[in-house]
Amino acid sequence: MKIVCTVNGQRRELDVRPMRRLLDVLREDLGLTGTKEGCGEGECGACAVHVDGRLMNACQMPVFQAHGRGIVTIEGLGDRDHPDPLQAAFVETGGVQCGFCTPGLLMASRALLNASPQPTETEIREGLAGNLCRCTGYGRVIEAVQLAAGVPVVDAPAPVDGSGLPVPAPDDAVHVLIPDRLDQALADRAAGPCTILAGGTDLMAAFNAGLPVPDRVLDVSCLQELRGIEVTAAGVRIGSATSYSDLIDSPDVTRIWPAMAEAARLVGAPAVQNMGTVGGNLANASPGADLVPALAALAGVVVLVSRQGERRVPVTEFYRGYRDCDCRPDELIAAVDLPTPAPDLRQAFFKAGTRRAQSIARVNLAACARIDGQGSLRDVRLVAGSVAPTIALLPRTTAWLEGRAISAPNLADEAAALAADEITPIDDVRASAAYRRTVLGNLVARFLRG
Amino acid sequence: MKVVGKPLPRRDAWDKVTGRTRFIADIPRPGAWFGGAVRSPVARGRLRGLVRDGGFDWSQVVVITAGDLSGPNTVAMIREDLPLLPVDEVAFVGQAVALVAAPDPATLAGALAALRPDIEELPAVLSIEHALRGDRVIWGEDNLIADYTIAPDDMDAFTAAMARGRIIEGVYHTGYQEHIYLEPQGVTATPRPDGGVEILGSLQCPFYVLNALTRALGLERDRLVVRQAPTGGAFGGKEDYPSVIALQAAVLAMASGREVAMIYGRHEDIIASTKRHPSRTIQRTAVAPGGRLLAADIDVVLDAGAFTTLSPVVLSRAILHAAGSYDIPLVRIRGRAVATNTPPNGAFRGFGVPQSIFAAERHMDRIARELGEDPLALRRRSILKPGDALPHGQVLPEGGTAASLVLERAIELSGYENRREEIAAANASATGPERRGIGVSLVHHGAGFTGDGEDKIDAVVHVRGEADGTATVLCSCVEMGQGAETVLPAIAAEALGLPLEAVHYHQPDTGAVPDSGPTVASRTTMVVGKVLVQACGDLAEQALTHGTDAHGTDARAAWSARAAAGEPLVGEGRYEPDSSIRWDQQHHHGDAYQGYAWMATVVETAVDTDTWEIRPERVTVVAEIGKAINPVLCVGQIEGGMLQSLAWAYLEEVRLDGGRYLNDRLATYIIPTCLDAPAYTVKLAEEPSPRGAYGSKGLGELPMNGGAPALAAAVEHALGTAPDFIPMTPDRLLAHLQELQP
Ligand SMILES: Cc1cc2nc3c(=O)[nH]c(=O)nc-3n(C[C@@H](O)[C@@H](O)[C@H](O)COP(=O)(O)OP(=O)(O)OC[C@H]3O[C@@H](n4cnc5c(N)ncnc54)[C@H](O)[C@@H]3O)c2cc1C
Ligand code: FES
Ligand code: FES
Repeated sequence: MKIVCTVNGQRRELDVRPMRRLLDVLREDLGLTGTKEGCGEGECGACAVHVDGRLMNACQMPVFQAHGRGIVTIEGLGDRDHPDPLQAAFVETGGVQCGFCTPGLLMASRALLNASPQPTETEIREGLAGNLCRCTGYGRVIEAVQLAAGVPVVDAPAPVDGSGLPVPAPDDAVHVLIPDRLDQALADRAAGPCTILAGGTDLMAAFNAGLPVPDRVLDVSCLQELRGIEVTAAGVRIGSATSYSDLIDSPDVTRIWPAMAEAARLVGAPAVQNMGTVGGNLANASPGADLVPALAALAGVVVLVSRQGERRVPVTEFYRGYRDCDCRPDELIAAVDLPTPAPDLRQAFFKAGTRRAQSIARVNLAACARIDGQGSLRDVRLVAGSVAPTIALLPRTTAWLEGRAISAPNLADEAAALAADEITPIDDVRASAAYRRTVLGNLVARFLRG
Repeated sequence: MKVVGKPLPRRDAWDKVTGRTRFIADIPRPGAWFGGAVRSPVARGRLRGLVRDGGFDWSQVVVITAGDLSGPNTVAMIREDLPLLPVDEVAFVGQAVALVAAPDPATLAGALAALRPDIEELPAVLSIEHALRGDRVIWGEDNLIADYTIAPDDMDAFTAAMARGRIIEGVYHTGYQEHIYLEPQGVTATPRPDGGVEILGSLQCPFYVLNALTRALGLERDRLVVRQAPTGGAFGGKEDYPSVIALQAAVLAMASGREVAMIYGRHEDIIASTKRHPSRTIQRTAVAPGGRLLAADIDVVLDAGAFTTLSPVVLSRAILHAAGSYDIPLVRIRGRAVATNTPPNGAFRGFGVPQSIFAAERHMDRIARELGEDPLALRRRSILKPGDALPHGQVLPEGGTAASLVLERAIELSGYENRREEIAAANASATGPERRGIGVSLVHHGAGFTGDGEDKIDAVVHVRGEADGTATVLCSCVEMGQGAETVLPAIAAEALGLPLEAVHYHQPDTGAVPDSGPTVASRTTMVVGKVLVQACGDLAEQALTHGTDAHGTDARAAWSARAAAGEPLVGEGRYEPDSSIRWDQQHHHGDAYQGYAWMATVVETAVDTDTWEIRPERVTVVAEIGKAINPVLCVGQIEGGMLQSLAWAYLEEVRLDGGRYLNDRLATYIIPTCLDAPAYTVKLAEEPSPRGAYGSKGLGELPMNGGAPALAAAVEHALGTAPDFIPMTPDRLLAHLQELQP
């Protein structure tokens, strides 16, 4: 497949197999070996580069998605004679030891400072949370970013004009369909079985772990119709190809649907948030997904489209079992609609994860409720993740709480016990069933205690 | 001093921050083949053969099994029990049973998928407890890979004290730890025209690999070369395992006649490479009515995995530190490394000490609890002082212990005593789920090889005078992130009166540098650095003797002239055994280490009692490390080691199912991110050591000892109960608390 992009400011025309990882093309075809591979599954950030100014993990991006975009790697950040202030700062503070994580950390640091020139320490930690370093303990790294903050830099090069889609070559083993209009996508979808690819954060990790790459791949990342956050008085429509970062950056989302914003903030780390999409999270149907419980609790409705038209399925009814959702082979997820909540709806999202970022939930809980004039709980919705093959709606606990006085003695403890009792979680590598029960109960109680 | 003690930037920093450093996977190798291994899916079994899928075109690849090996089938380390490829029995999941080389990764993957080891599964031994029971013997006569005892001189007095005192007993467990050096293991092997082979790899100990090659390939050393590529972290993980992977690649290269690369992805790295030994330690302490510590009986058991590898020396170091930093007059310590049908465990920063010292420190907290005493008060009154003897009979000389110094400074710096009261009060009135705690640990670490180990290593270092007046250090200690490539040249620069830029560091290469020993045991700066100072002295002296009149007494001019004439001068330093060191290896008695470094750690943590997540927030470290050759690098080592230690205690977990690691990728083996790291306050205390270069002591491993026990103490302070195990994952913490409640 022929694609065109800029790499470190230089226009590049590449003839590449479309599903190769951008990481491999940079390293093998372009000799840019400064970008490293530490895991191949999006966890470590050693492969982080800038794509149109955003931090992304090159091990999770099929190279065809680089078409028309501006890529910057560590080699383009600066050299000894014209260093980026961050490079000089890492040298000075001792932010580099073995150096294997360093290119990725520098790219993350630059992305952070471009977005936020004077970050707080917490912002620095969040900005670098997707870049594992085993040597430094991060102390000198944080100091380096603080030292370089505020020092102006020449900005990233402008992206290339990539108008016109990449041309698939007949010898491409995998047939990649890259429609730029939704009707074309639906026609492609109807034409035969294919795997939909959006941000690739789940799929590329699965390929890395051995899942065979399918013959036909339908890319939805170029479909403008699937991207964006449209707020009306009635609610919001979130296009399926909208990224977590788009959600986090939207003041409306943060203000009106704080539980969803919180869930998005707790997903992965910056590069994953820049790449991963709402539709992907819904369709991947992982029991531990973070956004799904929030969308369910906020009464979200999945909007599915096919050539037959549109179908609307509430998120709470979208899952049939473990990694199985109600998206037909000729459909794709176009959007999710959320109604505008009552102004007094209390919303929360809690996650007990494996660590503080780049973390998979051991238990999560999205919760909403109102307290009416009498002090009674109304419109209670509790949706938990990672405690069942799919999201768990906790019907008994919800029903028990509905209408009950928030001030009732032992309300939180009793609800906690009920919630713990009504799930049948499993033991797995991340947590035991016993832990999941207890902690889910505690999180329900935490919500009720406010 | 002009160079030593200055916070000069690392020599390799610019290449690393600009992406120019070429790690093994970054080096172009046109035409090279790719090597891989068929691995055992079972923990123990009889290997009946290798089944090849008839549909695969076997002519395009090379397949090697034990029967194809010409030399001795062994990876020589301490013993030779680990076969390069098993003959008739597999002993752990992931053991390589056959090797394959192919021209490209896809063909390699196809071949590996088309090969199936035919194994009759046998019952396995999968835990320390089972191994000790001895009802199933999988190694030697009793599953004991090593069994050592440190006994008090006066056994009668020991027995009497144990009988007289009140016995306080605790059992402590520590878990696995995977290194997660960010660069996975990798080597390339290139056949040489003379029938030998050349290895380039990410590794810590070029001469260890050379020895293993020499032994297994039955070749003379002059046909074998091992070179180190820039190494993206190691932490001990590239001490032993590179011998395995280098041998595999070498055998494939020799069989195929091609350069063969074996460069692991993360998943293969985790399943195939060594980990920190899990441990179980029983501490029994006899306490006099007034609270004085009379005697201790300590039993340390390490899970070695299926083969010896480095376990005996790891065990040795573990028991030599097992009584902690306290003066207990009569101590008996037994240590055993037991075999289980799990992948061999190996070297990891601290080398057994983090395990045994975790138990020692937690036991001090237990004693304090049982005596109703403050843990700090107990430490203060039991602390090692000059003149005290360690359990193995080494008497600490005047200036030989900075235990009190580091403890008192860390307490003051962290405001420990005030904070402890404030936090206790805040916890008592807390309404939310968060509790906080603050805890302290006091640890030490012996630098260099144990006992007369350095005599046996017999380190040699060269310094060559170059034509342009610069000098080059030739040494087999590698840069792996810890800063050797900066610190050793700094020492040479100081000794030769040169600026740091005028000293080069030769890539460790067994064909070009002398054997200065392995890059382990926190020995590089202290021991090898000292030998380097000698080598510099020798260079200067030679230069002056060889200097012609025209050069007068300018050594630099003299060595330049010689180098320009094609006869460079090479100064040599050789380790000088210290005849005052007494060491009885068999009884683990005498002067175990030439110097100890000391560290006190105060950790303040939060614990969420809804989710049982632990969040270490602030860490204060005071470390006495002799002279800091480069203070920036020292602080970096301490912070990095500290986070590894903390994470081992609460975040990092490897669970096994039937001998198979369940946490075998970065998505499931969890190491800390930037958000998980605490804020550090690190202060160096310097008491120059007479045994190290410019007064330096080993530092690399020390921080790994201190974080875990301090964090556990902080959790105890927060929750009022003390887990005796790590990792304190939320799951295990909750289970522990539920067990306590009826
Ligand atoms: C390091 C890392 C950390 C992560 N952390 C978290 C976390 O904390 N919480 C969490 O919830 N998730 C986490 N994830 C997973 C999260 O990134 C994904 O679930 C993401 O939302 C998937 O979106 P994507 O666009 O990348 O999907 P892709 O990988 O492109 O696709 C995922 C699946 O969805 C299907 N699909 C995608 N779009 C559509 C569509 N429009 N219609 C129909 N089917 C579609 C694909 O066919 C595929 O089956 C993490 C992933 C990584 C790699
Ligand atoms: S290699 Fe680890 S995130 Fe890409
Ligand atoms: S410097 Fe080695 S992993 Fe960060």
